[in-house]
Amino acid sequence: MIAAAIKKDLQLLARDRGALVTMFLLPIVFIAVFGSIFGGGDDDARRRLAVWSDPASPRAAAVVAVVKASGVFEVIEARDPDAARRAVADERADAALILPADFDPAAGHPAELAIDQAGPAQVRLPTIGAVTAIVTRAVFPPAAGADQPVLVAATPPGIRRELAGITGFQVTVPGNAVLFGFFLALTVGLAFLEERRAGTWRRILAAPVSRASILIGKLVPYFLIGLAQFAFLFTIGVVVFGMRIGGSVLALVALTVAVVACATSLGLAIAALGGTEKRLGSIGSVCLLVMGLLGGAMVPRVVMPPLLRAIGLAVPHSWALDGYTTLLVRDGAGLADVAPQIGALLAFATVFAAFGVWRFRWER
Amino acid sequence: MSACVEVRGLGKAYGGRTAVAALDLDVPAGSIFGLLGPNGAGKTTTISMIAGVVTPDRGHATVAGHRVGADRGAQRVLGLCPQELALYDELSPRQNLTFFARLYGLRGQALADAIAWALDVAGLRDRADDPVRTFSGGMKRRLNLAAAILHKPTLVILDEPTVGVDPQSRRHLFDAIRALAAAGMTVLYTSHYLEEVAELCDRVAIMDHGAIVASGTVAELIARHGKPPLLELELAGDEATLLAARALAARHGPLDGAGAVVRLPQPPSLGPLIADLESAGARVVRITAQPTTLESVFLALTGHALRDE
Repeated sequence: MIAAAIKKDLQLLARDRGALVTMFLLPIVFIAVFGSIFGGGDDDARRRLAVWSDPASPRAAAVVAVVKASGVFEVIEARDPDAARRAVADERADAALILPADFDPAAGHPAELAIDQAGPAQVRLPTIGAVTAIVTRAVFPPAAGADQPVLVAATPPGIRRELAGITGFQVTVPGNAVLFGFFLALTVGLAFLEERRAGTWRRILAAPVSRASILIGKLVPYFLIGLAQFAFLFTIGVVVFGMRIGGSVLALVALTVAVVACATSLGLAIAALGGTEKRLGSIGSVCLLVMGLLGGAMVPRVVMPPLLRAIGLAVPHSWALDGYTTLLVRDGAGLADVAPQIGALLAFATVFAAFGVWRFRWER
Repeated sequence: MSACVEVRGLGKAYGGRTAVAALDLDVPAGSIFGLLGPNGAGKTTTISMIAGVVTPDRGHATVAGHRVGADRGAQRVLGLCPQELALYDELSPRQNLTFFARLYGLRGQALADAIAWALDVAGLRDRADDPVRTFSGGMKRRLNLAAAILHKPTLVILDEPTVGVDPQSRRHLFDAIRALAAAGMTVLYTSHYLEEVAELCDRVAIMDHGAIVASGTVAELIARHGKPPLLELELAGDEATLLAARALAARHGPLDGAGAVVRLPQPPSLGPLIADLESAGARVVRITAQPTTLESVFLALTGHALRDE
């Protein structure tokens, strides 16, 4: 019976264009858009700096040479100061460095850095800091022989080395896979409602089949389609978006199995709550979006305030994403490194399944 | 005739409201048995308990000797055709029937044979691979029946099987149901269409407020609960003549109708009535007999009040 139910639900899913678009196509669009926003790679991550220096000032020309040589910015040379400022206003540049003829910081004549003061702090503050450091180094060069780095960034012991050259897609592929992967729960809940609405539920209940088999037969196809969804999204992530997997593939599979089991169990819990299709669709979508937000599927939890980070631990999304982050960006991470996340997800799955079985109304 | 379905003291309440109260019912084996009742009478709850879909609060039902709920024996020998079109619209009849047949353990050649037979019963063999969503209401109803009989059950429960079907499909369903009964299946049939039940069913039980209020053959119910047939006469004559004729007709029973139309319960003999009317100077131009119907019995037993539940 279970095999027949799996086949039937897979046949139904294959004809449900809406569900297929939501599960397979929409996440790709989100991954592409958010991946580009967060930066497609180290080269693409360089900020654009418009530069103009008065030809009459050798000091200004020297500063421009140092800025170009640093390689920190993609330098756009402007025709005049106004053109440099317009480049910022038109969003062709993140900032503009304008060096007038009398540029002399020691004499109280600083350069101008044109930048949107109301712009995002993640862009504004590092840009101001980097330009200030480069210009300072150019104007006040260290003494000969003292031209050494003042600091070296290093990963402390206890944290696996981060992969070199990671891109924004290392974050957006798992983020959106988890966000849309958990929408499987809504699909499961709606599938139960549809069986009840159509009357097929009564027909199935009248058959000589155990109720445990009925539930398993209803959930397993969605579990399989959930695994297919993650496999598809990660494959697209690697092949199309250049996502790299730093850790063990076996651990990635184990974590994904736990994530999909958790989403499927959540679907059973949603089905047990019942209600109308409209109510389930609206309330369920909102709840899953909020869970995704708190779990870091849209904005990484590392940039969240401590309180939100703590609240996020109450949703399975955060455990899933912590696990994926470890496996995707930490070189050589294995099953042991994500065991706590897998354990937490299986615990969530158990609680959801227990609630679902307890509250499930067979005769409703 | 032995009973295929035996119901004893079956009861179910939802949130303090009694849906079915201590019901006793016997459905003879091989019969087409009609279960009637107004909305909310408890018909669907009763058949759901017999089908094992709803667990009774008290009492029990047996189907072909298998106690419902004790194991799955009863469910192996019954087929339920729900009131809803309990089908997967996006799948074809063959895919639908394959799934439902496999719930009953049919495999291989037995599965193929069962599907071919059920498609023939439904008259859908040439549409076996088209999506059900492209079907008319009548075709879906026929497929709904086919899905209930795949495993050749001893008992087929049909809950309002002809809702929204065209006359041709209704006739096809009737023929199919009669053929199933002729082949030895017992049919438990609920419907709001009383003329259908009168035409199709060997025996009928009328439910109201969760209890059986009458049961028997249609003829027995009419004899026991029906009013005498009504006679309608159309008279010719001037106003004074008609007035005199109506006064004389009233001697033969409680009078209804107005003017030239006289309506009264059919007397044992027509001769004296017609003689009285003609003695008043009226001429009888038309006589129509309105036989007692199952509907009049149904309304007499369950009342005329609207049931909107």
